[in-house]
Amino acid sequence: MTNATDIAGLPGRRSSHGSELVLAGLGVALACVAPFWLNGYGLYLLTLTAIFAIVALGLNLLTGYAGQISLCHAALFGVGAYATALLTSKAGWPYLVSLPVGALLTTAIGAAVAVPALRLKNLYLAIATLGFGVVLQKTIFEWRSLTGGGGGLSLAPPTIAGHELGATGLYYLALAFLVLGLWGAWNLSRGRTGRALRLIKESEIAAASLGIHIARYKVTAFAVSAFYTAIAGGLFAYLVRYINPESFNVGLSIGFLSMIVIGGLGTIGGSIVGALFYVVVPELLRGIKDAPGLVFGVVLVMVMVFMPQGLWGMARRFLGRR
Amino acid sequence: MGRLAIENVSVDFGGVHALKDVSFAFESGSIVGLIGPNGAGKSTLLNCISGITRPTAGRVRLDEAVLSERNASSVAGLGIGRVFQHPELVLDLSVRENLMIACHRSLGYGLVSELLMVPSVWRREREAAGRVADVLRRLGIADSADAEVRNLPYGHRKLIDLGRALLMDIGFLLLDEPIAGLNDPEIAHLTELLFELRREFGFGILVVEHNMPFVSRLCERLVVLDLGQLIADGRPADVLGDARVIASYLGEAADA
Repeated sequence: MTNATDIAGLPGRRSSHGSELVLAGLGVALACVAPFWLNGYGLYLLTLTAIFAIVALGLNLLTGYAGQISLCHAALFGVGAYATALLTSKAGWPYLVSLPVGALLTTAIGAAVAVPALRLKNLYLAIATLGFGVVLQKTIFEWRSLTGGGGGLSLAPPTIAGHELGATGLYYLALAFLVLGLWGAWNLSRGRTGRALRLIKESEIAAASLGIHIARYKVTAFAVSAFYTAIAGGLFAYLVRYINPESFNVGLSIGFLSMIVIGGLGTIGGSIVGALFYVVVPELLRGIKDAPGLVFGVVLVMVMVFMPQGLWGMARRFLGRR
Repeated sequence: MGRLAIENVSVDFGGVHALKDVSFAFESGSIVGLIGPNGAGKSTLLNCISGITRPTAGRVRLDEAVLSERNASSVAGLGIGRVFQHPELVLDLSVRENLMIACHRSLGYGLVSELLMVPSVWRREREAAGRVADVLRRLGIADSADAEVRNLPYGHRKLIDLGRALLMDIGFLLLDEPIAGLNDPEIAHLTELLFELRREFGFGILVVEHNMPFVSRLCERLVVLDLGQLIADGRPADVLGDARVIASYLGEAADA
């Protein structure tokens, strides 16, 4: 998993991508054999990293590429978790079907709320998405007949083709989705959507004067981002096997944003590094008596002060790639 | 051949009359200079044509299409290219990629094909890259194709902005202070280039510029705005000799 961070980031490196593909292949290979060395908790953390990395990939498309901030991604993560869980546990659908269907459902909800929000910018957009997040979270909370409300939802282990999916199985499933997500994000970032989003972030007027339909692209970015986030939510539900609306609060949204900022805005590699940092560093700090949270906060400040382009941007610079 | 017509256009910004009942029209293939002192409404007029600013009264037409009822991206789709005073480029993308952005409409593949990078996407990207290479050669900056824009001099950046417009299959080109910040050889190169491009592509050019030698050399017609009103319209020699124009603008320019 660690080396999956080597997958190259920015769209349009002018160098050939051969070496980056080799690194990506090595990373995936390492991620595939990692479970053999890890205990149960280590595997849990690695699975969580993969899940958060999927969110970070999606959020980076919206925030890093298109420049649109969102504080409702935790809620979308939650809607994805609940949609998948309910379709699987209550409707009895196969997990591998309810996962994408739940994600599409969440995407539709996300895109619908995005339409008015994306007329706004910067702080105003942040506050509007914060509001949507609260509405979604409270809807899950209040809709007790469906979601179980504040009591949460306990889930049985998922099954695939009649076989129960254990911790290792779920890890590989998350890894498979991460690889697919990487591939999609890589393609998108280098194609016409990624290029259009980059210019929209730079100057909406310039983008419009090249015939780019701004609103449509912002909604597209939001929808794709919501899809990634909801898939991750559906995986997360069955990683923890107990979900509660309280988990999907704005604190987690800020956590998602910090992942992409720490990793590197507008980079694909940064999404992976950021998720890894967010999950692993607090674990490493656990040994510190009394105040691991405080140290984590200080580490965040240091990263931002000394590496404003994020860990991935720093690594690129260090390796002389740019 | 197309005709771009500004018809009785007025723009008010909260009681300030940026443009008052301005009318003129020109055909594709012609080069028209739009001059006037600062605050005369030149940029507002360009914004009205591009669909960025909506006229309070009057309309802008491209042949039968009413541009002033459309948004900026739709106006661009009808073949109105805009080159900004300060080129708005993505600094950490290469020159080629910045130009690929302008192939946006012609690429036309869908989101899902793009996510999956199906072969037809590859093919279209390659075709677009070919057109970009042609434009880069045409502008004389083919050597910079792979350079990051942030490493390029200002003059090159302005050419890239012009290149984006060329990739859009335009009938009219709006240039906002194209030579501001350029040195003399760059100005000479741009002047020749604009003549050649006009001949090749046949588009009409509306250029806002303060540099009178450049404007007189490039344009066959000048339109003068002052305080939002059209005060002169004609051949450069006649317009630049007009008493009102001298009083309102050229006197000021001479002082400056």
